Amino acid sequence: MKKHLRVLRELMRLRFQKLMMFRLSFLGPFLVDGSLFAVQLLVFSAVYANVDTIGTWGRGEMIIYIGSFSLLNAVSMMICFFGIVMIPDKIKSGEMDLYLTKPVSPLFRFTFENMNPGSAPLVIMSVLIIAYGVLASGVKPGAGRIAGYLFWMLIMQLLYYDMEVLMRTVTFYLVSASKLYQIEEASLDLCMKLPGIAFYGIYKVIFYFILPYGIMATLPVQSLVGELTWQTGIAGIGVVAAFSMLTAFLWRNGIRHYNSASS
Amino acid sequence: MQAAKELSAGQCRIRIGRYKEVIRINLKAQMAWRADVIFQMVFTVTKILFAYLLWGIIFRENQVVAGFTFHGMLSYYIISAFLSQLDLSGGISEEITQRIRGGTFSKYIVLPVSIEGYFIAMEVGVVLFYLGFDLIAALVWVFVFRIQFVFTQSLFLIICALVMVLLGLFFMVQFNYFLGILTLKYEEISTFLMIKNNLIALVTGSIVPLALFPGKVVACMKLLPFYYVTYLPAMLLTGRCADEAVTGIIVLACWCLLMQGMIGVTWKKYRIKYDGVGI
Repeated sequence: MKKHLRVLRELMRLRFQKLMMFRLSFLGPFLVDGSLFAVQLLVFSAVYANVDTIGTWGRGEMIIYIGSFSLLNAVSMMICFFGIVMIPDKIKSGEMDLYLTKPVSPLFRFTFENMNPGSAPLVIMSVLIIAYGVLASGVKPGAGRIAGYLFWMLIMQLLYYDMEVLMRTVTFYLVSASKLYQIEEASLDLCMKLPGIAFYGIYKVIFYFILPYGIMATLPVQSLVGELTWQTGIAGIGVVAAFSMLTAFLWRNGIRHYNSASS
Repeated sequence: MQAAKELSAGQCRIRIGRYKEVIRINLKAQMAWRADVIFQMVFTVTKILFAYLLWGIIFRENQVVAGFTFHGMLSYYIISAFLSQLDLSGGISEEITQRIRGGTFSKYIVLPVSIEGYFIAMEVGVVLFYLGFDLIAALVWVFVFRIQFVFTQSLFLIICALVMVLLGLFFMVQFNYFLGILTLKYEEISTFLMIKNNLIALVTGSIVPLALFPGKVVACMKLLPFYYVTYLPAMLLTGRCADEAVTGIIVLACWCLLMQGMIGVTWKKYRIKYDGVGI
């Protein structure tokens, strides 16, 4: 643990040094993703100007949903996204060798070596959106519900991370996984706009259990507004556990599968 | 005098021939990316699926929203997704900015055609290739989602919409070319280009029909060209907003002229900044 903390501190120091050389692009991710979620808010404001509810959710719940998805995305961007996306290139070029020879887990290094503090304002903005959504929804959550919401956000952050790693781990087994990233992007894009309550039938199976982007912000919001049933809760925890195990298994097996040859 | 006219006609033919060649090469180049074509077709489904699920749940409790019935709304999305899928000009600004920053923009300067003309011809080639596939995708989604497709019977509206689509595609090429050459002045615009993509999706009505926005917002959007690129043609083809058809063409044509002027001024002013060594 102590060793990992020392490595983390060193990785942060190196990252800040690098970022200071390219100051202009520092706030880039915040501006891009901030505009994306601002557009989402405008879109749903327009929809709610014409209808009272979408399913059981009013405008406030939808704002909490957008804020929650934005928060998951922002935390990922701030901590691990820019490191994880490098995995396929490192595998293809054979540069993974350098990671395997270091005295720390390669995944740990990928996760923390490209942190992006420029996304921190997006975290703050997301929290403000969530707070505004809570006010707009008229929900007065007690300490229990807030704790429940934080718990669900925490494990959904883990699921978000699992999905990011899982998609890149495929590169250990395939020459090109570019289409898979397109599927990931399209699914994220869809579920960012559409809460899980809108899914039913086969769509629910796909976006709850196969590409579980549909539950990522939905379950935390449902727990905050008191809509989460225990069956959905157990299914949600099951999905996170299953994807965490699958990711860990594929990563470990992928490392064993890795033959150092660039492809 | 006659000889001069013949010479001029000959030069014109040669020039057109060069652009035809650019179109042909780009059409052919798409064949090499067959998997991309199929994926692009399949991914139009995400827009339709979004509309189908979102509006499906809304229309369970409402008969009409902002003048749309459920099938009218989905027909709008089918046409809008088809049109926005045809616009592949976003890559032009990215290509130009990368080339200028990398110092390889000279590739376009040495071509025996105008640079803007090259990109227009390139867009024509790519659009011609994708046109049929996107049309097939749209038809497939109509059947898959069992949409009672709403389409105008008015030939006038169809012609107006087609003219607007062509002008809209032309405008988007101009717009992206303009943004690309701004790299000559601002050097790093990639963040801005990504923000632009997010905003364009909103203001062209690709995410939700602009009719859902308050009247004052829509009135402001009517002053911008993006209103006429995807949204209005889609509305015309679903038999709505007929009174805006002619004014829409005029406004969009004016924007094309204005944009051409802006391109000319910007290129003249900043092209000397390009030194071919990158930034």
